[in-house]
Amino acid sequence: MNILASYNWIKEYLKTTATPEEFSREMSLKSMSVESIEYLKEKFDKIVIGEVKELKAHPGADRLKIAITDIGGRDVEIVCGGQNLCSTMKVVVALPGSKVRWHGQGDLIELNETQVRGVTSYGMICAPSELGFEKVACQDGDIWDLSGLVEAKAGTAFIEAMNMDDVILDIEVTSNRVDSMSIIGLAREGGVVTDGVFSFEASPDIIPGLGKELSVTVEAQDLCPRYMAVVIDGIKVGPSPLWLQNKLLLSGHRPINNIVDITNYVLHEYSQPLHAFDYQNLEGRSIIVRRAKNGEKIAALDEKTYELTENQLVIADASRPVAVAGVMGGEMAGTHNNTTTIVFESATFNPVSVRRTSRALNLFSDSQLLFEKGLSTELAKLALKHAVELTLEIAGGQVASPVYDVKEQEYSPLEFSWDPQKTKEIMGVDLSNEEMKKILEKLGFVLARTDGKYKVTVPFWRDHDIEGEIDFTEEIARVYGYHNIPISLPNQEPPTMFGDQDLIWESRTKNVFSSQGYTEFYGYSFVSAHDLERYDLDPQDAVALFNPLSSDLTHMRTSLIPSVLKDIEANQGETPFGQVFELQRVYQKREDDLPKEETRLVFGVFGVKDAQTSYLRQKGMLMLWAKSVGLELKFERLEDDVYWHPTRSAFVMYKGRKVGTIGQVANQYQQAFKVERPVILVDIDFEVLVNDMKVKRHYDPIPEFPAIIRDVAVEVNKKLEFESIWSKLINMDQLLEEVSLKDVYQGDKIDLDKKSITLSLTIRSKEKTLSSDEADAVVEKISRVLVDQMGGQVR
Amino acid sequence: MKQELEQLKQAFSQALEVIESSDALEALRIEYLGRKGKLTDLLKGLKDLSPDDRKEIGAFANEVKIDLEAQFARKQSELASLFAGKIAQEEWIDITAPGIEPEDGNLHLTTQSIEEIADIFTQLGFVRVRHPEVEWDWYAFESLNMPKDHAARDEWETFFIADGDKIMEGKKGKVVLTPHTTNGQVREIEKGQLPIRMMNINKCYRRQADVTHAPMFHQFEGLMIDKNVTIAQLKGVFDFFVKRFFGPDREVRLRPHHFRFTEPSFELDISCNLCGGIGKVDGKKCRMCKQGWLELGGAGMVHPNVIKAGGLDPEVYTGFAFGWGVERTFMMKSGMNIADIRILYKNDLRFLKQF
Repeated sequence: MNILASYNWIKEYLKTTATPEEFSREMSLKSMSVESIEYLKEKFDKIVIGEVKELKAHPGADRLKIAITDIGGRDVEIVCGGQNLCSTMKVVVALPGSKVRWHGQGDLIELNETQVRGVTSYGMICAPSELGFEKVACQDGDIWDLSGLVEAKAGTAFIEAMNMDDVILDIEVTSNRVDSMSIIGLAREGGVVTDGVFSFEASPDIIPGLGKELSVTVEAQDLCPRYMAVVIDGIKVGPSPLWLQNKLLLSGHRPINNIVDITNYVLHEYSQPLHAFDYQNLEGRSIIVRRAKNGEKIAALDEKTYELTENQLVIADASRPVAVAGVMGGEMAGTHNNTTTIVFESATFNPVSVRRTSRALNLFSDSQLLFEKGLSTELAKLALKHAVELTLEIAGGQVASPVYDVKEQEYSPLEFSWDPQKTKEIMGVDLSNEEMKKILEKLGFVLARTDGKYKVTVPFWRDHDIEGEIDFTEEIARVYGYHNIPISLPNQEPPTMFGDQDLIWESRTKNVFSSQGYTEFYGYSFVSAHDLERYDLDPQDAVALFNPLSSDLTHMRTSLIPSVLKDIEANQGETPFGQVFELQRVYQKREDDLPKEETRLVFGVFGVKDAQTSYLRQKGMLMLWAKSVGLELKFERLEDDVYWHPTRSAFVMYKGRKVGTIGQVANQYQQAFKVERPVILVDIDFEVLVNDMKVKRHYDPIPEFPAIIRDVAVEVNKKLEFESIWSKLINMDQLLEEVSLKDVYQGDKIDLDKKSITLSLTIRSKEKTLSSDEADAVVEKISRVLVDQMGGQVR
Repeated sequence: MKQELEQLKQAFSQALEVIESSDALEALRIEYLGRKGKLTDLLKGLKDLSPDDRKEIGAFANEVKIDLEAQFARKQSELASLFAGKIAQEEWIDITAPGIEPEDGNLHLTTQSIEEIADIFTQLGFVRVRHPEVEWDWYAFESLNMPKDHAARDEWETFFIADGDKIMEGKKGKVVLTPHTTNGQVREIEKGQLPIRMMNINKCYRRQADVTHAPMFHQFEGLMIDKNVTIAQLKGVFDFFVKRFFGPDREVRLRPHHFRFTEPSFELDISCNLCGGIGKVDGKKCRMCKQGWLELGGAGMVHPNVIKAGGLDPEVYTGFAFGWGVERTFMMKSGMNIADIRILYKNDLRFLKQF
């Protein structure tokens, strides 16, 4: 979470000689990260107060006017479309050379003296948003009317007139340090890291009054450990003084009226949200902190109505909820311009309850952000005192009730013991006890020595963050400066364990495929029920998300194929052909246990024109990959598997076991995924095979004698498979080393049920160089087998 | 006879001059130098000369023969190179025509980044392991010092697994899709194999989908558990990685941060390469970084409660851990500005084939 902090405001609590840069650097290194530094003097350079003297019509545009504007000692013509523009108005003039945000949008633009529809404009008259003040109340199309707000004469620099010579820091506060989401908290940290002096004095105690009593009851103390309230009567609601409005503007808050502004001011200064109710609108003059009733409704200040449940905490009067506790006030009991009696609430709410309520209602606010991080009950009182002091000063009136204070229990600070020796060991730096002690004390911890160790008392503003002894090490190490800790590589013995070998094989596999012209798909682990159903997988068998983000990501993949088909569907329009692979986990549901996560490999080709060739390419790729991981795979013609084309697919076998499938995706699934052309896929159970993967560590000696290669062309039955020819022939003769398929021909020159195949025979002897006659004898023998035993006709 | 030899030599030279083909050259050679050629013919007359003349003319004839042969050889090589040039012209190819590329294969960007990151940590003795993505609450949250009501354990931040219309629960709590790779920490410590230098690079899931968040993303987790592990060593390991991954001129900084499972906790920053760590480019605020620094990821000394949850004594063993988003790290290195991060996992080949 981030806070916009005025450096001037911080310096009200911090005496330091540090420049904003120095402050920011030290803070970033040792405390909270300062993400940007903005010098208002630079930002508002050449921006001055102007006074409109006279308005003239623009000759070229009805909606524009020419404002003769005094910019200090001289009058200039400025073209302006501001609908509220009138003479004698005090306005903000951005002179040529200044930088503004056009219509409050986009980047800063440097202004030049320019022609606007034929009239030269000397700069521009600004709307608040054009200066970066989106929070200033201003009608769309209006310019910023400063009449009555600023005393300064025309020509005065804007920052001088507004007393804004300040530097704004955008600071990221970590979620455990809600105390630093405040000017005081940042000043305190700044004091420690810049060696400045932090001083804070609490506002005086509230002197109780009489006359407007209230009944305050906390029914749900578990969700509200402290509730404080006080009534102030006779106030006058109106705009805040300029200094207050400006501080809020620079902090990113919207000035509304003095009462609301005071609550925001205290929130920003103390990180304690406050709320102001109109006393007159609290029915029964009572406040009840209770759980909402199921179905109870509240119209919140954002003008929306929310339906509540009994898990949610509300502030109610005698009859209805008047605020969602810690999240947002209700419209009914809020302060209005004619409010004269207010009730200030300063409370501590259960952080988890606030967070869950806010998420459930989808309702967010500055208050909720702070409450859900966990605030100290001690803070409520300090903030209330300050709010009352400011109110009496700015809005008048007097305290008209006792200070109500309902507490779950008396506050007692946290205490932990601390061993300085351990801190030194973890840091790897030899610090003296005194140095470390000093750091803790500057941060507000109180230390007492107890036999070699210390007893440390935690200041209230850290009571949600400090949980044990190790936290003191962090405090000391960060303030000492992580950048001051030396750099050294581990010098301990390296571990003896190996990592997961699967990952090495996966990596190798991915490299084999990508180097062979395959593109890696990398999809979400979840798919939609629809995608599973399209592939006839039952969503009931898949691991389902309880709270999916959308209906297309609901179930964990049990197979990679549906998502691959879906991706092909999405790609085929622009990329009609492609070779892809995916090597990822699938998730198999198990009873009473985590699902089994298994790696699968799917690869293949889409946009297929010739199924036989494409099939053989994928088979070839499979063999090449198998070789690279030391596996010997076999194939068996597939039968009775609806997912695959019945005559163009095979099971992939390893050691007699089915480990995958290769073939054409069955037509019905190709259609179900609206894929236009056939897809040949290979689906491999990587998880099973990975255990047997190995690097080849032996070799066959290179043959001593040359081989003779002879081709045999033969016409056979079309459905005679090569595998059966091979196994028949390979053992026919000792000299026959290999039989390979050189060519296949089917076409008009031979019968429809025949094919002509050319076999290439490798003939070799281990003892000698063969003569041509010896080779001829082998060819002769093979040809005879082909004719006699396989129905072939030698051509 | 000497005169005749001179004439022969001259005639040969003249004839040679006009020859343009190797066939004609060969014919000329046969005519003059062949077994039945003019020179042989002429030399038949030698036998009729006196011994003295024979000796003198014989020597001269030999010189003429050598000369003719040399001329012939010169002409022959002249013709050969002419011929080769001509053949080469006939063998002309267009070297400017576009190359025929083999089918292009591509590793996914995430795969590439994972490999690159892992290689660097391997050099420091870290080994890659894999822990579950679908995980017990115990490993994802409870054992990591995250209280029951921590925001990350809410249903709007983390994906839970269903069991009918309820959240699936089992022996170690609810079942979630792990939102971080930190779930590997206690699992690794539990193995009881010390010392530990582990890297767990895996998928993580969070209920967020917009231009800068994909509901599935990757984290890199490093864990070192041993005796006497210090912040100084964490800085050393991080510095080693950054200099090798991002370049030797990049600086590293540790900044205070907050994580439940580490104490102290840090944010790891590296100096910005766009502005050179100054925070400004041409006087304007650098659009890449915050005041000259880029956030890379989180780190810290493993919280004693986490070490205890894994069954070790935090008084004896300490450790550090770090983790960051793989996608973010890659984008930081490449300077690639991916407008919508979700394109990474859409499998659009027009995107994937660019890498």
